[in-house]
Amino acid sequence: MTQNEMTSDDSTDPAAVGTTATPDPSGEPLVDQSIEVDGTDSSAQAGREQVIEARDLNVFYGDVQALQDITMSIPENQVTAMIGPSGCGKSTFLRSINRMNDLIDTARVDGELYFEGKNIYDDDVDPVALRRRIGMVFQHPNPFPKSIYDNVAYGLRIQDETENLDQKVETALKRAALWDEVEDQLDKSALDLSGGQQQRLCIARAIAVDPDVILMDEPASALDPIATSKIEDLIEELAEEFTVVIVTHNMQQAARISDKTAVFLTGGELVEFGDTQSIFENPEHQRVEDYITGKFG
Amino acid sequence: MATTEPDADWHGDDSSISQLRGRAFEATCLAATAFGLVSVLLLLLFVANDAFRPLSADSGWLLTYAVTVVVPLAALAVYYYRLDEPAGEVAYVTSGLPVVGVLLTGGFAVMFIELLSILEWFALVTSLVAAGGLIVAHGRLRPNAALERLVVLFGAPIVTVLGTPPAQFNWLVTDLAAALGVDFGLYHRVISLREVLLRLPYVPTNWLLLLGTLVAPLAVAGGVFVARRCDSRRAGFAVVGATLVGALVGLVTGPALGIGYGGWMLLVAFVALPVGVYVEGVVRRREGVRGLAFPVTAVLGVAVGSVVVDAAGLAGPDSWIDWGFLTSATSRTAADAGIYPAMVGSIMMIIVIVLATFPVGVGAAIYLEEYAPSEGPMGKFVTLVEINIGNLAGVPSVVYGLLGLALFIRIVQWPQGSIVVAGLAVGLLILPIVIISAQEAIRSVPDSFRQASYGMGATRWQTIRQVVLPEALPGILTGTILALGRAIGETAPLLMIGAAASVRLAPNGFFDVAGMMPRQIYSWSSELEPAFRHGVLAAGVITLLAVLLVMNATAIVIRNRYQRE
Repeated sequence: MTQNEMTSDDSTDPAAVGTTATPDPSGEPLVDQSIEVDGTDSSAQAGREQVIEARDLNVFYGDVQALQDITMSIPENQVTAMIGPSGCGKSTFLRSINRMNDLIDTARVDGELYFEGKNIYDDDVDPVALRRRIGMVFQHPNPFPKSIYDNVAYGLRIQDETENLDQKVETALKRAALWDEVEDQLDKSALDLSGGQQQRLCIARAIAVDPDVILMDEPASALDPIATSKIEDLIEELAEEFTVVIVTHNMQQAARISDKTAVFLTGGELVEFGDTQSIFENPEHQRVEDYITGKFG
Repeated sequence: MATTEPDADWHGDDSSISQLRGRAFEATCLAATAFGLVSVLLLLLFVANDAFRPLSADSGWLLTYAVTVVVPLAALAVYYYRLDEPAGEVAYVTSGLPVVGVLLTGGFAVMFIELLSILEWFALVTSLVAAGGLIVAHGRLRPNAALERLVVLFGAPIVTVLGTPPAQFNWLVTDLAAALGVDFGLYHRVISLREVLLRLPYVPTNWLLLLGTLVAPLAVAGGVFVARRCDSRRAGFAVVGATLVGALVGLVTGPALGIGYGGWMLLVAFVALPVGVYVEGVVRRREGVRGLAFPVTAVLGVAVGSVVVDAAGLAGPDSWIDWGFLTSATSRTAADAGIYPAMVGSIMMIIVIVLATFPVGVGAAIYLEEYAPSEGPMGKFVTLVEINIGNLAGVPSVVYGLLGLALFIRIVQWPQGSIVVAGLAVGLLILPIVIISAQEAIRSVPDSFRQASYGMGATRWQTIRQVVLPEALPGILTGTILALGRAIGETAPLLMIGAAASVRLAPNGFFDVAGMMPRQIYSWSSELEPAFRHGVLAAGVITLLAVLLVMNATAIVIRNRYQRE
């Protein structure tokens, strides 16, 4: 956690068009926390820090190249959306940020990817430690077949942070806007929740350990419109505190919630990256315009 | 809709779509299923008829019990099935629990009679509890020393149960001490807590030991369970108190009923306590209370029936399976022959098999599914290993017997026909089955759970321990228990390793020569006297099948229990 809540006092940021700053009743303790952190990190006041930076990143699955020379940087405490057709490598890029691709035997990574100034593909980086700083939410809600409480406590327990466990679980569920719905049934199985609730539970699980970055791989694509809008509201709130990187197929969603947008097109190329507003209103590349307006085949 | 006349063709009544082949296929499949089931059922009926000989009873006897037991129970069963399903569930559990409890009681009784005395049991349990206490205390005092905890986890039980290594390993201990800069002088072996307890000058009587090590802990467990369920500590204390009073009442009533003190303690712990806790829950919830009528009717029916039969002087069936058959050794006369030593041998063999195959099989399955590489030359090697495990599952059991003979008797020089050799040989036989079924269970854990866990920053070990294994455990247990069912019936390996054809005394240790049930049945099959081949043999088969059925039922209960959650 570094400087937070910058967004709350610069809502005039051109990138934040479309986001309405909703006052959050459960936000009080979070603001307190941010005050301490702000004091320790004054350099960030000057401008947004780039928390993740890719330089000439190539990813291969066996002989197939999934990403080609990706160079981009993801700013702190904003929502960065990645859009593009299926198979364009946006999920691959997302998964290479927390080294989930390591779990695939055939995957090979070339190039550099910096997280807070450290190349995460250096030999001395433990992917487990990295993933504790960079949480992930998946396309299909995948709560563990345990109780709601145990799901949220999972990350804290594996990191041996079991002090004030009840308090931390409650805070995480409140931040994920799920507390009011599950307050009385923390012992019930997480699999009894609806799909949208399960996905918010997965978000609560990811933020319970207080990561710096949250990666979301099409978090709303398996949900109905109402659940989707709840998740979108939640993402906007989370961006006040976390850096959110989201992959989506839904261009309206990207336009609604993101500050920055990266457009990947077939072949694993990053074609355009910039402020969401300018990407959607005035794209530089014809291919991007074709894709956004639906002409792309 | 269209106003033209309806087109009759589309509904297919002109047989333009032929379903003949499909129907014929369905009928053939049904016939195959029916044929298999009916032939097995016929065989079982045939054997059961030989074993129980129901037709040798007076028709009056059969009629009496039909009226007092069968008809009322059947009527109740129909009532539950049609009108009151929750009561049916209650009836099922209240009839099943005592049976399971009595089986457990029998198992413990056999263990105390044949394997270890109650004092040895007490010493073992107490030292294990002490080891557990040490582990917990260490976890509290030094929560972050992972490696140290591992040492304590394995060291504490070893030290409390076995003590430090014997004097032959003097050099090891003194060298280690010297390396650490400590000078012991002369090394004396430190005996374990278990050995200290065994040498106590004053030893409480057996029933007191059982009360302390079995009844009291189970009563406390039942009390905690009830206290949580009712949210009242008083209910929990009531359970503990009632159990202890029930146990002590036995000191007076036990001899009157012909039950020893030890047997009474076991019955209180395994039968009265669980049944009482369950019945209390049923009565308090007021759900399916009518189900309690089923076991009551059964007991009353049997009681009334026996009074009537005694009064009228009607003779029961001359069954080959009776109390004497289950509790005595085989004999030269068919009427006196029993299966007890072979049954004890089989059960002890199963213990060896479980201890040997479960850790190895599950460990191998976890390695192959979770750790082994799937790519590159190592991946090819792993594939080869997996194919070979599949092949090993199909190797004839005689071959495993031969392997056991060569490995454990010729090379390791363990006694021929001993339980440990039999258990390990049959264990090797089912090991591939255990590995394959455990692999299946682990593979069926959705990958999304693993992804979620890794995504949270869990290590591979944490993911396996906290996500994969809990989810795969029911499947692993079911597969293992079914494999054990196969193990208990294997005969060929027992012949190869020289298991005793007929033993008069039950084994008292794992290195004793023993017979097992299938081996005993096999030797009865070659007796000259027809009564052995037709009667005693059938009784042995039924006993073996009953043991198998209990094991399979356990597997099903475990599976259902976990699936419901």
